[in-house]
Amino acid sequence: MDSIVENVVVKDGVDQETVDAVREVGGAYKHGWSTDIEMEYAPKGLSPDIVKLISEKNEEPDWMLDWRLAAYERWLQKKEPEWAMVDYPKIDFQDQYYYARPKSMETKPKSLDEVDPKLLATYEKLGIPLKEQLILAGVDGAEELTGAPRKVAVDAVFDSVSVGTTFRDELLKAGVIFCSISEAIKDYPDLVKKYLGSVVPVSDNYYATLNSAVFSDGSFVYIPPGVRCPMELSTYFRINAENTGQFERTLIIADKGSYVSYLEGCTAPQRDIAQLHAAVVEIIIEEDAEVKYSTVQNWYPGDENGKGGIYNFVTKRADCRGDRAKVMWTQVETGSAVTWKYPSCILRGNETQGEFYSIAIANNMQQADTGTKMVHLGKNTKSRIVSKGISAGQAQNTYRGLVSMHPRAKDSRNYTQCDSLLIGDKCGAHTVPYIEVKNNSSRVEHEATTSKVDDDQLFYCRSRGMDEEEAVALVVNGFCKDVLQALPMEFAMEAQQLVAISLEGSVG
Amino acid sequence: MLTINNLHVKLEEEDKPILKGVNLTVEAGKVHAIMGPNGSGKSTLSYVLSGKDGYEVTDGTVNLNGQDVFGMEPEERSSAGMFLAFQYPVEIPGVGNMTFLRTAVNAQRKSRGEEEMSAAEFLKIVRLRAKELKIDADMLKRPVNVGFSGGEKKRNEILQMAMLEPKICILDETDSGLDVDAMKLVADGVNSLRNSNRGFLVITHYQRLLDHIKPDYVHIMADGQIVKTGGPDLALEVENNGYKDLLAGVA
Amino acid sequence: MTVLTKNFRDIELRIAKLNLPQGDWATEARTDALKRLRSVGMPERRDEYWRFTRPDVFNQSGTPPATVSAMEKEIVFSQVDALQIVFDDGIFNAKESDTLALEYVSIDRLAESSSDTHWAKSLYGQLETNGQKPVPRPLGSLNTAFATDGILVLVKGSAPKPINIIYNQKEETSDVTLHHVVRLEAGAELTILESGPAAARLNNVIEVDVADGAVFHHIRTQNNTKDNHVATHIFARLGNASTFKSFTLTINGKLTRNECLIEITGDDAVAHVAGACVGDGNFHQDDTVFITHDAKGCESRQVFKKVLRNGAVGVFQGKILVKAGAQKTDGYQISQSLLLDGDSQFLAKPELEIYADDVICSHGSTSGAIDEDALFYLRSRGISEYEATNLLTLAFLAEAMDEIEDEDLREMLTRQLEGWLERHRG
Repeated sequence: MDSIVENVVVKDGVDQETVDAVREVGGAYKHGWSTDIEMEYAPKGLSPDIVKLISEKNEEPDWMLDWRLAAYERWLQKKEPEWAMVDYPKIDFQDQYYYARPKSMETKPKSLDEVDPKLLATYEKLGIPLKEQLILAGVDGAEELTGAPRKVAVDAVFDSVSVGTTFRDELLKAGVIFCSISEAIKDYPDLVKKYLGSVVPVSDNYYATLNSAVFSDGSFVYIPPGVRCPMELSTYFRINAENTGQFERTLIIADKGSYVSYLEGCTAPQRDIAQLHAAVVEIIIEEDAEVKYSTVQNWYPGDENGKGGIYNFVTKRADCRGDRAKVMWTQVETGSAVTWKYPSCILRGNETQGEFYSIAIANNMQQADTGTKMVHLGKNTKSRIVSKGISAGQAQNTYRGLVSMHPRAKDSRNYTQCDSLLIGDKCGAHTVPYIEVKNNSSRVEHEATTSKVDDDQLFYCRSRGMDEEEAVALVVNGFCKDVLQALPMEFAMEAQQLVAISLEGSVG
Repeated sequence: MLTINNLHVKLEEEDKPILKGVNLTVEAGKVHAIMGPNGSGKSTLSYVLSGKDGYEVTDGTVNLNGQDVFGMEPEERSSAGMFLAFQYPVEIPGVGNMTFLRTAVNAQRKSRGEEEMSAAEFLKIVRLRAKELKIDADMLKRPVNVGFSGGEKKRNEILQMAMLEPKICILDETDSGLDVDAMKLVADGVNSLRNSNRGFLVITHYQRLLDHIKPDYVHIMADGQIVKTGGPDLALEVENNGYKDLLAGVA
Repeated sequence: MTVLTKNFRDIELRIAKLNLPQGDWATEARTDALKRLRSVGMPERRDEYWRFTRPDVFNQSGTPPATVSAMEKEIVFSQVDALQIVFDDGIFNAKESDTLALEYVSIDRLAESSSDTHWAKSLYGQLETNGQKPVPRPLGSLNTAFATDGILVLVKGSAPKPINIIYNQKEETSDVTLHHVVRLEAGAELTILESGPAAARLNNVIEVDVADGAVFHHIRTQNNTKDNHVATHIFARLGNASTFKSFTLTINGKLTRNECLIEITGDDAVAHVAGACVGDGNFHQDDTVFITHDAKGCESRQVFKKVLRNGAVGVFQGKILVKAGAQKTDGYQISQSLLLDGDSQFLAKPELEIYADDVICSHGSTSGAIDEDALFYLRSRGISEYEATNLLTLAFLAEAMDEIEDEDLREMLTRQLEGWLERHRG
């Protein structure tokens, strides 16, 4: 990330600096390197024994193991869903490793100082140093941009285990619990028991059920009543090992009147064989609380011929349980060979609000099927969906969404804007919204457009000296503006550059 | 003709009083102007008089020619002779302006037990009135207020006023968003409708409209009450010194 | 050994009392259709394209009764100078029908054409077959196999007047399957009007082949009594620079499913499908439209408006598929519902599937109650709440009604709507 120009100011849409930054970044997928580190694997394949082994490795109590085994039984009875517009070779679930951890993590380091330097170096290289520094690394100008020093606490997950979590003590002083889920199961069993699986039930869908059986780690967040989390929280997921699936589980609880902004990043090495990632994120938002969840998903997308890449099957859902609870999902999906992901909002309390902002870019042979569900249950609830899909190369990009107004969700509102952009004549852009309105005091508005990159805009840019690729990056960034603006500062910068990189080779 | 007595109004949704005891009588043939700073309750008064939802009358009465206004639906008030020229006239896609006007004219006639106006007669009168307001045939054909400029919308309001021949006309910030020429056109339209049987209540923030529509009385409204009443000179005072001094003087 | 799922058990139940007509040019097509049906099964609620509408009533062997209107039925298009063809419970009524002769047009009846060869042989069941992909339309196949009658229309020039098909329901439990085939040769023009409740349960298919430069207009009113169950399909194929415009007004009926599947195979063609419906109470109306662009420079429009009250349900499933190479496609789709009270529902799935980049495609969908500001504005001008609601309701439907090009026909259908509003005072 050292290539980022300092003091970049994110203006409305895009500006010359963005173009400069994009020009400097260059290169294709830049997180494709791997860390050479001694690993410990569970035997390949999936069975009750593997489930037991994962539970054992995490030193889990019996109730957790029972929960996992029940999920495993349910999974055996379930069928892989076929409705998404994604096409990939059948996954052999017995030909995967379900648990991989660096040897050095056998005894959990007591502090970050004890963590294997190789692991620390890995995150350093990814621009996420596991040091308690003031600002998220990689964005040198961030302090100036925001006008105040910003702290970001990081939980770093490497293959199947959490390597370390920064700023834990400082957060604890504010009452905020931020740790890996494996620690939370041991240290806060009551909270975990109460909330785990309460938003995404064990049997919710094929991948969520699989995750419930074999998840190895992930992050746990609890914000107590009335607390505004003193810093941004983030989890950085890295898949390193070959043939290994990553099954992370995140649980965020925002108690009454609290607030937290949570960031998530993900990358993986460039490998020829596709790898599986099946995550579950559950968010519980009580009365008057607010959660912002931002993702920059940059898993390895596979090469231009569709070889390798991550199969990304993710279930994310927020439950606005209390009145006036708010959730905002923002996602920039640029990576993965296959994306299957629908961060959703259950607007259960009265006057709750859900927002979903998404940029999904699919280039080369990538396939993305992503969107959201807005389930309005409470009165006076509001939701907003802004989705920007970009297809290039031979990629297929689908927006799939549901807006549901239940009979008792009186006086609710939804607005959906869903735009697709096509670059080249070999790709596809699809829109599959479901709208279900069961009361008349609610108003639902859905708009969608599909078009290609505007030739006049491209010509205008090129007549000012940009080459075609730069011009496309510029125009596409403009197309995504509404969503980029919804991202936290640090991510917005990264996202703008990702947009450009992801589209590399899409013209000409 | 129109008597407002100790009118107290709050928003239905929140417990926020907006009008706190308004007293006002508008006689036939007179023009009353209400001026006041933003948020003083001027527009609320116009909405409450015409019967818009969302307001709760907590006290007081309004009487139109002996009838209790609050016992009437919006259309009954209209048929009884009340007319509100909206600050923001509503756009109604799909309903032609002519259809709208004719339906309104005949609905009122019907409610008064009069014969409906024949299509030919209606057309003749509309064309005549429209011409006076420089409203062209195209505007009459288009859907109600859809795609109209600010000036066109306000002229369309005055056209409706001319067609419906109300007894009491309430003009809510009719000058807002108008340039000088458009304002003159609208004011001429209003002046042509002034007669000894018709009362006017002109609500405005600025004095400039009152250069064109000369009021008989000027009231200053602040914080939900009429705090000062005077002749046309009062409007000039506002123009010269602003509301601040005036209100300070009252307090 | 596979266990038969419900879809497949339903077929045998459904066809138990039906006979496959034998011994004419259509026999082969009918036999193939039955094979198609047996390969996909009857529709089920868990089928993606039936998620919003229960197909059960179309699967059962018996027909749920529908009251026959006692009132002298007003014939919607009686004022139109047209060639009139009347079916009573699906049976051709020769007495009330005109002679099946019209300049440039040849008209036969499916039930009467028992020869070995017929021009319709290459089309009957063929467009329906094309319409089975990617989503099966089992009721269409059922129709091709078992249709008892219908008209076969070959148009070679500009038809001097429309064909007006009038359906009457006479029996409370009539179960009718009709299949019409229309072929417009290059440059030909024809308008078809359809009106009336055809049966207690109706399965109606129209296959339309519109050759280069030909123009086809279709205006239909489904004036049902409150108990009718109706499933219709239009399967159309469009040639170069051809025009296809279809409009349907649905008034009443317990369950109506109108599917329109259009395959645009020629460049610069135009396809418009529109509909308006008004429903009160036990009313479920479903428009399912699938337009495939497989040629360059074509335009398609889907405009659907639904007014619903008292628990009525409106469904819209519309799809624009733009195949690779179908550049310069202009696709537009709008579906809107006006819910007049809190019990009504609107369920929609407006889809785009696009594999060509130089296109402009858009869709919009809205649902909500009557605009309170507009209602107040009208009332403040002395218009009663009832009348104001009607005005706004008609205004809401106007964009769909405007899809009817012919002003007189539009006026006739608008009067139908006004009549409905008058009969269903809120």
